[in-house]
Amino acid sequence: MTAEIIVVTSGKGGVGKTTTSASLATGLAMAGKKVAVIDFDVGLRNLDLIMGCERRVVYDFVNVVNGEATIKQALIKDKRHDNLFVLAASQTRDKDALTQEGVEKVLDDLSNDGFDYVVCDSPAGIEKGAHLAMYFADHAVVVVNPEVSSVRDSDRILGLLSSKTRRAERGEGAITQHLLLTRYNPGRVALGEMLSVKDVEEILGISVVGVIPESENVLAASNAGVPVILDDNSHAGQAYRDTVARILGEERPLRFTEVARKGFLQRVFGG
Amino acid sequence: MTEALHSKMDTSDACDLRFGQVGIACVRVRRVDAAALCEELERRVRSAPQLFSRAAVVLDLSHLLDLPDDGTVDALLEAVRSAGMLPVGLAYGTSATEALAQRMGLPLIAKFRAAYEPAEGGSIAPPAPAPAAAPAPAPVREPIHAAPPAGPALGAQHHEGTVRSGQQVYARDRDLVVTGAIANGAEVIADGSIHVYGGLRGRAMAGAQGDEKARIFVSDFRAELVAIAGHYRVFEQIPKDLEGQAVQCWLDGEKLMIARL
Ligand SMILES: Nc1ncnc2c1ncn2[C@@H]1O[C@H](COP(=O)(O)OP(=O)(O)O)[C@@H](O)[C@H]1O
Ligand SMILES: [Mg+2]
Repeated sequence: MTAEIIVVTSGKGGVGKTTTSASLATGLAMAGKKVAVIDFDVGLRNLDLIMGCERRVVYDFVNVVNGEATIKQALIKDKRHDNLFVLAASQTRDKDALTQEGVEKVLDDLSNDGFDYVVCDSPAGIEKGAHLAMYFADHAVVVVNPEVSSVRDSDRILGLLSSKTRRAERGEGAITQHLLLTRYNPGRVALGEMLSVKDVEEILGISVVGVIPESENVLAASNAGVPVILDDNSHAGQAYRDTVARILGEERPLRFTEVARKGFLQRVFGG
Repeated sequence: MTEALHSKMDTSDACDLRFGQVGIACVRVRRVDAAALCEELERRVRSAPQLFSRAAVVLDLSHLLDLPDDGTVDALLEAVRSAGMLPVGLAYGTSATEALAQRMGLPLIAKFRAAYEPAEGGSIAPPAPAPAAAPAPAPVREPIHAAPPAGPALGAQHHEGTVRSGQQVYARDRDLVVTGAIANGAEVIADGSIHVYGGLRGRAMAGAQGDEKARIFVSDFRAELVAIAGHYRVFEQIPKDLEGQAVQCWLDGEKLMIARL
């Protein structure tokens, strides 16, 4: 059994990669999979915050790559799911601390330890860190926001995924690409201020695996150190559940992509 | 992170360094004959002094079978100079060209295309057979030695799927058929004609070696740029009557025509 490696990437920063990594890893764990989620954003670590385990980081990814700690020592067990583990990024080291061989070894070790999925939270950009995060991936979740610059960056990333990964280099078949549209605001789409699902799908030429609405609950969840997928009451949480189910092969209709229906009075009086 | 902040603070005012697009004519050398080159260029300068006199040019040696030795290249550069033009570098070619440029203390002008990556399985267009005028907002210039309009004899090259931003597909000596879209910031080039059965949002350049009969067919037109045999049009705004339409582009003399199909 080898672990499936999923990179969560985007090109652009601040689009929701880390939010997505945390919810995806948690969702896969809720489905009974053994999951590790790794923060590749050396120097800007924050996955541990969103996962709510920042106080338990003793060793980090760079320590493991440098042989200063074993992978077992560095993995932090999630407090809610005992089949979910976090490998934090180093906050202090410089970006060049990760090497391709080092990353490969960590991923191989996780595979040998019986992990089903390894979720790699990519840093922004198309430089070394992002390259390392995607290089060994079998699947990619490309996070995109409904705006032109984000779509353009995602297009660039999609191109890199099909040429600059180990699978591509070895001719082992394309990596599975999932397009995830986040921070979607149907109201602003209706006003023409944001691209619609259809626009984004058309420009990028692939369909979305999910649409996560813009929601205040995301920030609240992050601040509480609880991945938003665990917030049953929020639309964002429910949309992440749908998304994980789709990635696992289930078919589910898109939700929360239309402007919320008008209230009773508005319906009666029109407008 | 602090690193990024610092570099921002330190350089914010001192200068701005970016890659722009500048119009540089390209002297494509077809024969190693300094005297003939000088003569030909002089004729060009005389015929259009406002265009060619003291014009910055790059010397493109990639059409020669063998890269000439340093002395010969010196002579060629001198020929350009004595004709009244200013050679500023060598056009990007092989690693041997790179070494040569280094020995001569000249920059390698990669044109804009070296930044592109080949799309899956494709080969990158060698910058050598670039369109006569690099598609830059500069006056269109004829190739100095017009290429014989070699009709593409090979079958078309097919590209399936989308050409992504930053990627390039090049069909050498033949037509190109793309069955997907060409994204903003992507580029397709063919020495023959180009057929796109998807949205063209990036650039398409047909007749890259000078074939003026080459055409471009697009089923959903939103291009940044189209060019045929070095004559190009840049679209900051796509004309309303063409946007999203099936169109074809062809050359009518010097004029690049675009019309709905
Ligand atoms: N669906 C959403 N609704 C509202 N805010 C969001 C949503 N997704 C992400 N955010 C916010 O956007 C910011 C950037 O998210 P993050 O996941 O850290 O992005 P990245 O890892 O791509 O830089 C955070 O403040 C986060 O709370
Ligand atoms: Mg992040």
